[in-house]
Amino acid sequence: MKLDDIRRKVDKIDRELLVLLHERMGLALRARRFKDEVVDAEREEAVLERAGRLNLSLVEQSFGQQLLRTIIEESKRLQGEARELVAFQGEHGAYGELAARRLAPDAAHAPCLEYADVFDGVEQGYFDRGVVPVEHSLEGSVTQVNDLLIKTTASVVGEVNVPVSHCLMAVEASDYRELRVVYSHPEALAQCAGFIERLKLEPRPFYDTAGAAKMLARENPRGAAAIASPLAAELYDLAILKEGIDDGPPSSTRFLLLAQEPLTAPPGGKSKCSTIFATAHEAGSLFEVLRLFAESQINLTRIASTPRRDDPGNYTFFLDFEGRPEDEKVAPVMDELKKRTIEMKFLGSYPVDNGEGAEK
Amino acid sequence: MKNIKLAARESRPPTVVNAGGVEIGSGFSVIAGPCAVETEEQTVTTARAVQAAGADVLRGGAFKPRTSPYAFQGLGIEGLKILAVAGAETGLPIITEVLDPRDVSWIAEYADILHNGTRNMQNFALLKEVGRADKPVMLKRGMYSTLEEWLNCAEYILGEGNPDVILCERGIRSFEQYTRNTLDLAAVPALRELTHLPVIVDPTHATGRPSLVGPMSMGALAVGAAGIMVEVHCNPAEALCDARQALTMDAFASLMGRLRGLETYLAAQASESEVTG
Repeated sequence: MKLDDIRRKVDKIDRELLVLLHERMGLALRARRFKDEVVDAEREEAVLERAGRLNLSLVEQSFGQQLLRTIIEESKRLQGEARELVAFQGEHGAYGELAARRLAPDAAHAPCLEYADVFDGVEQGYFDRGVVPVEHSLEGSVTQVNDLLIKTTASVVGEVNVPVSHCLMAVEASDYRELRVVYSHPEALAQCAGFIERLKLEPRPFYDTAGAAKMLARENPRGAAAIASPLAAELYDLAILKEGIDDGPPSSTRFLLLAQEPLTAPPGGKSKCSTIFATAHEAGSLFEVLRLFAESQINLTRIASTPRRDDPGNYTFFLDFEGRPEDEKVAPVMDELKKRTIEMKFLGSYPVDNGEGAEK
Repeated sequence: MKNIKLAARESRPPTVVNAGGVEIGSGFSVIAGPCAVETEEQTVTTARAVQAAGADVLRGGAFKPRTSPYAFQGLGIEGLKILAVAGAETGLPIITEVLDPRDVSWIAEYADILHNGTRNMQNFALLKEVGRADKPVMLKRGMYSTLEEWLNCAEYILGEGNPDVILCERGIRSFEQYTRNTLDLAAVPALRELTHLPVIVDPTHATGRPSLVGPMSMGALAVGAAGIMVEVHCNPAEALCDARQALTMDAFASLMGRLRGLETYLAAQASESEVTG
């Protein structure tokens, strides 16, 4: 290793240290929700004591402890700020985080392994709000999320459309000519199938797009690239080889913002409502429901169905429409809707995403 | 020319190559831009100027074949990204040179036409690879090659299943030293007798002198070439590659005016002779 190589490694470590610190601070904010007070002297003692036992010849005990003390001080300062916590599924840099940045720019964004973790956390108050993808403009519904929406006690308080912008990325020093495999979420791999084939790469499914980028940065497997958002490339210090590699026409993913309580007074401008209902298994019952909206001239923005898990053969319907529940033409329809369905759940009313505030 | 089958004139009507919306082989197409992509600013400035002057395709090298290994070798993938920005800014299709068979699939993701350079005319591995690409190929004449050798190389590309080949006459080596090469303008009408493939002319590398680029471009149009490829730089003296060979943006704009004038005149002559003939 010559000076240049050594410096490159040092830079990489510095960057990783900061990304890890970012993760640690996020965890500290999450921990705050379980503590009565910010300061927990016993815990601090234990953390410092454990660091003291670690035998690292180049990191002296006093230095290690001093460093940790500085980090703990900063965590406590952040915990004291009482920042809003917004959860998303995936690792930092996932499309869910892009959605969270758009919907709650000043919040701390907390990565979750599963969609269910986002719902649970919001319902139980560990997170203030959460973002989940509900449908892709090309692939349609995200089944897992729709199933969770049926059961959740949380409300929908916002939406955002995040454009899909897949990038092929690899570790800076790797030679693009040597690339053989590409890691990403199966959905992203499918959206870039043409590109992957033209470059004769082998697709390897991974649990998350940003997770694949993170793995690449940490482990650097031979001849491997990842498909993820530009944000992931930035976070994990990967070189983008090609932007916009998805095959089809430009597409986007619609995310919903969840909170424990519904919006009481949605801000001005256009609003949208989300509902879930089931109708009796009788001829024309769905038509009767849809007719209510048609006759009142209410514009529907989404209609989707999913088989009922508890009663296969019957369906649950997802219906989104423009307006507010208290609107003159909407209120009577809502009353009628309750009568004509065997089950009906109002998910919430929220401002329409008109693309404003989009990140460049 | 017994082995020229797919490229032979009798094999099919004249080929018109569609490259990113531009039809080469129908009318007179002008490809212009810097020799090499140096910076985003230089490339985008030049791209805007050539587009404003009426060019059809933007050229720019990201991978450069240089006589000396110590000379600027091009920006590689970074250069391709800059070309993509310039292409998106101006709407011009992109042509860029490919040197290595391993790069073909990558360059095909960025470029609308693959430029197979003079030094690689007989690089058969490369010819086969561009023949398998889903993008048109501009095949330059090797600087020591006969028309028959050249057409055999086109045959390699066509044989791999790529029907979109454009031939580019760029001058051959002779004993003359005042010009960088000797432009073989006779090759243009000769090839029109021999092949259905469109033929364009590169007066920049053929002469190596900006003062001769204009006259030879007019000559190319007069002898029936399907277009020209010329180097234009926002600051020719500072160019990292083939400095002082490129046209200034003003000189290019003035040349475009003269070319379009001659094109109109020739078209009028042709329709008149059709009427009287």
